[in-house]
Amino acid sequence: MFGLPTQDEPIPFDELPLDDPLLFDEPAGVVIPDIEWSAIAPNLILMLGGILLLTVVSLVRGRTPSWFSAVWTISTAVFAGVTLVPLWQRVQDDGAESVMAGAIGLDGFSLFVTGVMCLSVVLGALLLEGYLRREGLAGPEWYVLLLLSASGGVTMASANDLIVMFIGLEILSVAVYVMAAMHSKRVSSQEAGLKYFVLGAFSSAFLLYGIAMVYGATGTTNLVGIQQFLSETVLTQNGLLLAGFAFMLVGFGFKVGAVPFHNWTPDVYQGAPSPVVAYMASGVKVAGFAGMIRVFVVTFGPTYGADWRPMVYALAMLSLVVGSFGAIVQTDVKRMLAYSSISHGGFILVAVAANSEAGTAAALFYLLVYTFMIAGSFGIVTIMGRTGDGLHALSDYRGLSKARPGLALLFTVFLLAQAGVPFTGGFLAKFYVINSSVSQGQYVLALIAMSAAVVAAFLYLRIVVAMYFDGNTYRGESATLAGPKVRIPAAAGVALGIAVVGTLWLGILPGQMTSVAGDAVAQLVAIGP
Amino acid sequence: MGQYLPLITLLVLTGVFGAVSVVVSRVLNPPRPTEAKSSAYESGITDITEPPERFPVRFYLIAMIFIVFDIEIIFFYPFTMVYSELGWYGVIAIVIFSAAVFESFLYLISNGALDWGPARISRRSVIASDPDRTSTTTVRRVGADGRAFALDGEES
Amino acid sequence: MRVEMFTFLVTATIVLAGSLGVVLLRNPVHNALSLIGTLFGVAVLFIAQEAYFLAAIQVIVYAGAIVVLFLFVIMLLGVDKSESLRREPILGQRPAAIVAGVAILGLTLTALLSSAARVTGEQSVLAPLDPAVPDINRLGRVLFTEYIFAFEVTAVLLTIAVVGAVVLIRRAGDPIDLGEFPDGTMGDVLAARAAERNPTIDDAADEEAGLDETADDAAATDDAAATDDAAGGER
Repeated sequence: MFGLPTQDEPIPFDELPLDDPLLFDEPAGVVIPDIEWSAIAPNLILMLGGILLLTVVSLVRGRTPSWFSAVWTISTAVFAGVTLVPLWQRVQDDGAESVMAGAIGLDGFSLFVTGVMCLSVVLGALLLEGYLRREGLAGPEWYVLLLLSASGGVTMASANDLIVMFIGLEILSVAVYVMAAMHSKRVSSQEAGLKYFVLGAFSSAFLLYGIAMVYGATGTTNLVGIQQFLSETVLTQNGLLLAGFAFMLVGFGFKVGAVPFHNWTPDVYQGAPSPVVAYMASGVKVAGFAGMIRVFVVTFGPTYGADWRPMVYALAMLSLVVGSFGAIVQTDVKRMLAYSSISHGGFILVAVAANSEAGTAAALFYLLVYTFMIAGSFGIVTIMGRTGDGLHALSDYRGLSKARPGLALLFTVFLLAQAGVPFTGGFLAKFYVINSSVSQGQYVLALIAMSAAVVAAFLYLRIVVAMYFDGNTYRGESATLAGPKVRIPAAAGVALGIAVVGTLWLGILPGQMTSVAGDAVAQLVAIGP
Repeated sequence: MGQYLPLITLLVLTGVFGAVSVVVSRVLNPPRPTEAKSSAYESGITDITEPPERFPVRFYLIAMIFIVFDIEIIFFYPFTMVYSELGWYGVIAIVIFSAAVFESFLYLISNGALDWGPARISRRSVIASDPDRTSTTTVRRVGADGRAFALDGEES
Repeated sequence: MRVEMFTFLVTATIVLAGSLGVVLLRNPVHNALSLIGTLFGVAVLFIAQEAYFLAAIQVIVYAGAIVVLFLFVIMLLGVDKSESLRREPILGQRPAAIVAGVAILGLTLTALLSSAARVTGEQSVLAPLDPAVPDINRLGRVLFTEYIFAFEVTAVLLTIAVVGAVVLIRRAGDPIDLGEFPDGTMGDVLAARAAERNPTIDDAADEEAGLDETADDAAATDDAAATDDAAGGER
């Protein structure tokens, strides 16, 4: 009745030969796995970089210059990015592999996502540098958490085992929960951290529950094993597996902020420190989608695609609609961008729902473009928040075109790219997504995505209008920005430069990156002999 | 499972003892609280401030750190059971793990999270040295109906 | 009735009663104690499955350390009275929560019951049940071979936990963003709390406020600050 699995004849505890000295010397058949460090070099560098940074600043407490942590973080991320090149070559030449005892998959997909994560760490660290000085928040901990969180994201993207993926997700999230609450002078930051933590823990529990069910249905947590089992066996009773899909989708849906699991997004984005939001919106989302694609498209896609696709389809549709329309009624720029990021999440979900290699490539390209756009947008928001990080109302942007025309122009570029205007990366990203969707016959979803893009464009134009046209007569005075003077720290300027170059480069000369995204195939390969 | 019988018996006995204690104390000593009984005992001195928090926040940090290292130590147990099978490989694995966790110990020490030096009196209590305080404002008159401020007209 | 079934039924009752207690009881201390009951019951279930090591961990880490930490926080916040749950923070929250809870339970039950007798697709082969080898050894083997990477990155997670605990416990000055809450909800709450913690005692109030500013750590409450400072320097 309860299906309690027990052995038929359990051996009583005192009959177990525990005191037999020979027991522990017997050859137990433990196969020592082959650990190849170079295969996980990028992840290892991020992890070690974070841990060593913590050690160094602990040993020389207070005697490191203020730029030290930022420079360390950026060089670590760049170094990790550089090590991707030989690995990419190796994967392209010799094919994908399973390393670290089958826990980590070395394939184009994971390397691509690692690169995007490194990029978002660089951008986040550049934004943090000036921000921490402006806000008077000392502390290398921000950078330590940034690096460790990114390593969690990389772990997630390359995990070949559900348990490894879960730990990666927790490393990624716990660090970001803390970072969201780390602006100790703002109550709203602490509120955001608390909300994010409570809801995040809840969704992690869902994911774990789903993992347990999938384990129950397939007998393994290894993605290679699951895929193999499902392709070889026809489950006559697959209720447990399907329930596992549903629960896992809740967990991933929360991480990527898909409707109806999006409610935390506006509040957290609004309250959390702006550079952290830049990382949260880019890095965390990238890792969340990477995990989702790895589990759903790659593992369950070939055999059970028909079962989970309707669910993702619904999530995509809701995210597009709620994200686009929700953004319109906001008056706070951070909340607006939060809703727009929900709508972007909907677009990527459209690519996920396509359940094809073209869809995965489109999602990867979108994620890369999105990282540039959203990190750039939140970079501007970071600067415009000014001391106290509190000036985020739409009215605070009035007259920006007169006060800082360069900044206004940059923000316009990022917003137009998000709207999907041609000659920006955003246009092509949306184009590839819709293309992949149509080729899988999802015409309705493609239509909704296009309409949502039009509706969302209204939001971006609203901000542009506020910057360019409203400012002329603000409070009867002509053309000055309300509030204190806007200062652009050098590091943040570099970050904005990288972001705008990336956004335009991917819009004008996309060929190289689209072929790389096309080559970034996710594969599940069993451990070699 | 049979060897757990003493444990279960002990568990049952504990439960019974707890229940009996509660019931008997209620029966023999019915609670009749008055204001005097339920207020904090301060040697007859009126407590003009709220009693301090029962635990300083710092204890929370200690508890958190305890859990972290508790979990770390628990990973050592399976290692000790299989270390002979694993050989050097296992030693390296556990050393990497413990180095990564103990580096957070370094961070704690450098942050002064474990400094429990002698009590540092950071400021005088303003209230205690208030020149307006007299014995009539401070000393509490204990009456039959509980306690109240001995000040004229200031019943609280 | 076999002894396993008997154990299961008794422990399942304890686990369920404990978890219902966590949700339904009003006093937070009682909630935490119910949680101990649940975790203890799960530990007994582990023993019934001959997972002795997991049972020990369950008691030592969860019941012993984590719930104690919960109790700690409850004591720290001084929540020793029962919370007033009569008013819903969000309109319709409670019915929605009940519907969602029942739906999740229904989904799980449907998944399990629809599979009839054979719930799982395949037996796990990671650690085959071998009565000659104790469970800790089996666990150790898979931990250091199949799950070596998961094991190592757990260290990173623990590091983050330590850093997070230290960072979030630091106290800063008065918040700077109270004016940003247009509807005044959060600001009102904090202002009320600030008024509560600085009771105006005749003339002493002004002098006290002056001293509050000079104190290096911002005083959360008068006495808490004194106690904390006495406990040792924060930086």
